[in-house]
Amino acid sequence: MTHDPSGRGPSLRLVGKEDSSSTYGRAPVNRDVDWSILMARAQEGDRAAYHRLLQEIAPYLRSLAARRHRDHSDVEDVVQDVLLTVHSIRQTYDPTRPFAPWLVAIANRRFIDRLRRQGRRRDREIPLTAEHETFCEPQANLEESPDRRELEGAINDLPPAQQRAVRLLKLKEMSLKEAATVSGMTIASLKVNVHRALKNLRKMLVDRSEP
Amino acid sequence: MIKTPDLIASLAENATPVRRLRPPVVRAACWLLLAAVVLTLLAVNQGLRPDLVQRLSEPAFAVSMTASLLTGVLAAVAAFLVSLPDRSRLWLLQPLPALVAWLANVGYQCLVQWVAIGPDGISLGEAARCFATLVLTSLPLSLAMLVMLRYAAPLRPTAATFMGSLAVAAITATALSLFHTIDATAMILMWNFGTAVLFVGLAGVFGRRMFRWVAPRTFYARD
Repeated sequence: MTHDPSGRGPSLRLVGKEDSSSTYGRAPVNRDVDWSILMARAQEGDRAAYHRLLQEIAPYLRSLAARRHRDHSDVEDVVQDVLLTVHSIRQTYDPTRPFAPWLVAIANRRFIDRLRRQGRRRDREIPLTAEHETFCEPQANLEESPDRRELEGAINDLPPAQQRAVRLLKLKEMSLKEAATVSGMTIASLKVNVHRALKNLRKMLVDRSEP
Repeated sequence: MIKTPDLIASLAENATPVRRLRPPVVRAACWLLLAAVVLTLLAVNQGLRPDLVQRLSEPAFAVSMTASLLTGVLAAVAAFLVSLPDRSRLWLLQPLPALVAWLANVGYQCLVQWVAIGPDGISLGEAARCFATLVLTSLPLSLAMLVMLRYAAPLRPTAATFMGSLAVAAITATALSLFHTIDATAMILMWNFGTAVLFVGLAGVFGRRMFRWVAPRTFYARD
């Protein structure tokens, strides 16, 4: 059945690796009859026939779907949708009628459903861009400079020893030893001063934020 | 996402034998038989309206009855045809002539012999009994229609529910005029047109949800 008796067929046939590509070479009428028979046998529970039928219609559905959907993953998804629908309503096929119109009607419903769903999603949702990513970062949204100015002001109000300790240890992030050599203070007094400074700052800033 | 060849393999694995649906006209006939049984049971239980024979000789009433019955029959056939994937959508137009005749007739009656609803024109008792008939006829018929049309759920849910509910509405309206003396034209209009609107409206609101409930599982499992 796969061989065209006219002898001209093979030279015109598309070259493909899979066996299923030979279905394209067949005359549509023969193919339809084949599919009808396969589906009738599938309805009676013949798994092999059903497997062959689904394998043969999948490339056909893919070519139909490619006309409506551009994205490759969409095409594959919608082909699977059609296969599932075919499976769930295989009772409705009447073997005395041609198979292709039945299949195409189901396929078109699924294609259109998918297009509609995509349309709805496009209306409702906006894809995230790099700008949206930026705005997700807290630094991008928070204006920090007033805070910094306020903190500077508070530090300036501290006694000089505490000021120096907090600047060296916290703002410049020096170690205790480095701070001791730079400032000439002992490590113990640096520790005490920075502790007191933080305590004072906490008190000042809390007082300020409370009305 | 599952690969298509895997999906095909698993579907083929699940290919249990299925019973083919009977031809749509036969299925419609089955449903109409159920309708006839329901109406007969109601007739035995409630009794026909006393002046039925006399009223049937009036052309307006006879035409209205015939048209509503015909609408029911044609809409049922159309519903079963449309529920199949490879039948034309144009079948939806099939009950249209009968529907137009029915509604036009009701409207015409309303226009020519408007009867004001007097103190005895409408009584609560009659309305309640009308309502009982409405529920008793439409409930079993709607459920049967819903189950019989479940394969249309992934295909043309709206068209199928519309036709199905039109069939139920028309049969129910016929039942109402068989069993109840609803002579005040306002009542006729209300019960005929109201029934139709009620069922088509209910189908519009709940149709899809109900379909989901009875529909074949494999398809909706993915959504």
